[in-house]
Amino acid sequence: MSSTSGAPAITTAGFQVLLALASGHSHGYAVMGFVDQLTEGQVRLGPGTLYRTLARLVADELVSETETSDPNAPHDARRRYYQLTSLGERAVREEAELMARMVDAAQTAGLLDGSRRTT
Amino acid sequence: MTRERPLGLGTHIFVTDAEAAVAFYREAFGAAELIRHCLPDGRVLFVELAVGPDKLLLSEEIKELNAVAPTTLGGSAVMLLLELDDVDSAFTHAVEMGATVEMPVAEMFWGERYGIVRDPFGHHWALCTRREQLAPDEVAERVPAEPTDGKWTAR
Repeated sequence: MSSTSGAPAITTAGFQVLLALASGHSHGYAVMGFVDQLTEGQVRLGPGTLYRTLARLVADELVSETETSDPNAPHDARRRYYQLTSLGERAVREEAELMARMVDAAQTAGLLDGSRRTT
Repeated sequence: MTRERPLGLGTHIFVTDAEAAVAFYREAFGAAELIRHCLPDGRVLFVELAVGPDKLLLSEEIKELNAVAPTTLGGSAVMLLLELDDVDSAFTHAVEMGATVEMPVAEMFWGERYGIVRDPFGHHWALCTRREQLAPDEVAERVPAEPTDGKWTAR
């Protein structure tokens, strides 16, 4: 299923990585740390998932590797630098807006503790 | 429970020429290669491809591991199903790339445009695009009494 912008479907891990990049974390290790912290340890991106997720996002042109990546560095996503493309920015924004609507509905349904809402 | 990704069902296929197969699936179905591992003798143990939101594992024929390709077996008992935005152009493109038409694209009674090709490596692919969102009862009402030219297409 593609989104209205024509961007490819984003997996949960893909969204978490895009969110980390949008939040200013560009290094693989920082992306893993961000997701770990954000989810209070409930989601741990292992090196294999990080690598697959980033390879997929790069193939879908949602993310690109930055020039600051050392071309001689080992082929390990944890040690490389990434950035959102303009398509990636649009895709993560669209996904975030959809999720926000679901969170609003969850709030209305009384599923959330009001103190956790930030907006 | 801490879980980094959902558990699920994947597909793992065997081909005689992994390089050609990866190139075909990339060009025909938009597959992206994520990971590749080879045996010391150079044979491809597996390649992990992303196809749409799913993953497809592919191994080169390695008979001692019981990885035998359909072209060696003389057929395949499995069909891969790929849902696309535009089945007609994907189908035409796959055939231009060397796939064989097994069933041309047609409107099906269950609400899809649907066709079947056999890729150059012997695997059957049903390609489809959803046309209508039907309830199971609506589909049941549309089942043709008998096939037309051997096909269960829409009435």
